[in-house]
Amino acid sequence: MEIIIPFIILGGLALIFAIILAIAGIKLAVVQDKRVEQVYGLLSGANCGGCGYAGCEAFAKALVEGKAGINDCPSTSKESKEQIANIIGGEIKELEETIVVCTCNGGKRCLDKYEYQGYGDCASIELLAGGRKACPTGCIGAGKCTDVCAFHAVDILGDGVAVVNQKKCTQCGNCVISCPKNLMKRIPAKAKVYIACSNHGKGKEVRSICKVGCIGCGLCVKVCEDNAITMVDGLPVFDYDKCINCKKCVEKCPSKCILNLD
Amino acid sequence: MNFYIVLIINAIFINNFVLSQFLGICPFLGVSKKTDTALGMGFAVIFVMGIASIITYAMSLLLDILDAQYLRTIVFILVIAALVQLVEMVIKKFSPSLYSALGVYLPLITTNCAVLGVAIMNVTNFVKVNLLISFINGAASGVGFTLAILLLAGIRERLERSQVPEPFKGFPITLIIAGVMSMAFAAFSGMVF
Repeated sequence: MEIIIPFIILGGLALIFAIILAIAGIKLAVVQDKRVEQVYGLLSGANCGGCGYAGCEAFAKALVEGKAGINDCPSTSKESKEQIANIIGGEIKELEETIVVCTCNGGKRCLDKYEYQGYGDCASIELLAGGRKACPTGCIGAGKCTDVCAFHAVDILGDGVAVVNQKKCTQCGNCVISCPKNLMKRIPAKAKVYIACSNHGKGKEVRSICKVGCIGCGLCVKVCEDNAITMVDGLPVFDYDKCINCKKCVEKCPSKCILNLD
Repeated sequence: MNFYIVLIINAIFINNFVLSQFLGICPFLGVSKKTDTALGMGFAVIFVMGIASIITYAMSLLLDILDAQYLRTIVFILVIAALVQLVEMVIKKFSPSLYSALGVYLPLITTNCAVLGVAIMNVTNFVKVNLLISFINGAASGVGFTLAILLLAGIRERLERSQVPEPFKGFPITLIIAGVMSMAFAAFSGMVF
């Protein structure tokens, strides 16, 4: 008979714990909206942080809870966004499609102010007398934009300036925020040419420090037959609605600082 | 009051669970690669040891009444496993951030022999034991475990950057260090109150 006692004690305890845990399991169940998982599956999964949330999972949760809009995500494809909108409701805004370009083409063709030796990225070099380049708006070329890009779309190539691979870029905007010189700019996706210089200085000054800096000569304005270019403060500004992609400005530019995107 | 101070010092230093009694060696070696994970594990152990001491004390009273002390070990394992499960649910519900911080360590503690050790020693090692003594001993033992694992994690982080002879790299040198730490803690046993 003695064998019964431990059997009863252990069996009884196990039963009590099982009941407590079962009740706790129901009472303390964490309700998770099934839609969160579906939405998460449809997002690009890049965890780029372009939406301002800590990764795609947090963004999916915010979407389902209605705290965020689907348009906040720059990197999910349009088809996926439509599917997400079907799940959670809400409308997709037609955003103007943009591309990101680096508005400096100097790099090694631009003179150095000093040689930077030490640890750090563009931001820390920028703190030291405004960067290592003689040009105040010259690409430092230490690759801060490369570091922050989750898609490996920005790279510092042989010329020492950032180049965006438009095929990989998803417009998340991390490089736009990270560049201490604010050189990464959004331009309309239909643009075929852009001005790859940000120096507003006089022609002589620019020429003395950079071989490919805009000298503000205005030849591009003259050669443009559609009046798509205007000179503003020493730099040409493109009106991409008028531009017909004739590429005459690219050919004519004496500094070769208007770049062709094709 | 004096008794409680001695009790705490005893649990943390003199009879340190890892370095003097050699219990809970598995997480001591397994989770001591980084100080922050070591700290997370340490806090989880303090938490579970403190609560487990209270519950298992009540259980031992129950077993005393039923005159079935020989069932202690198996009942305690059952209690601790159920308790950890319950605690995990509660934390998941009320503090998701703490839940994600403790992560996998919380369920790991179920199989930590130090927790079972403190539960059994609470009811066997003291001449006269009550609920408060049992709880203080449990929580202080957890602090001792945290201290040991944190010290080892700190040393191991430094070791990563130092030149260790090739045959000793990794676990061998860690075991040697654990041994040296244990010898250092043995010095506490000479404390007189």
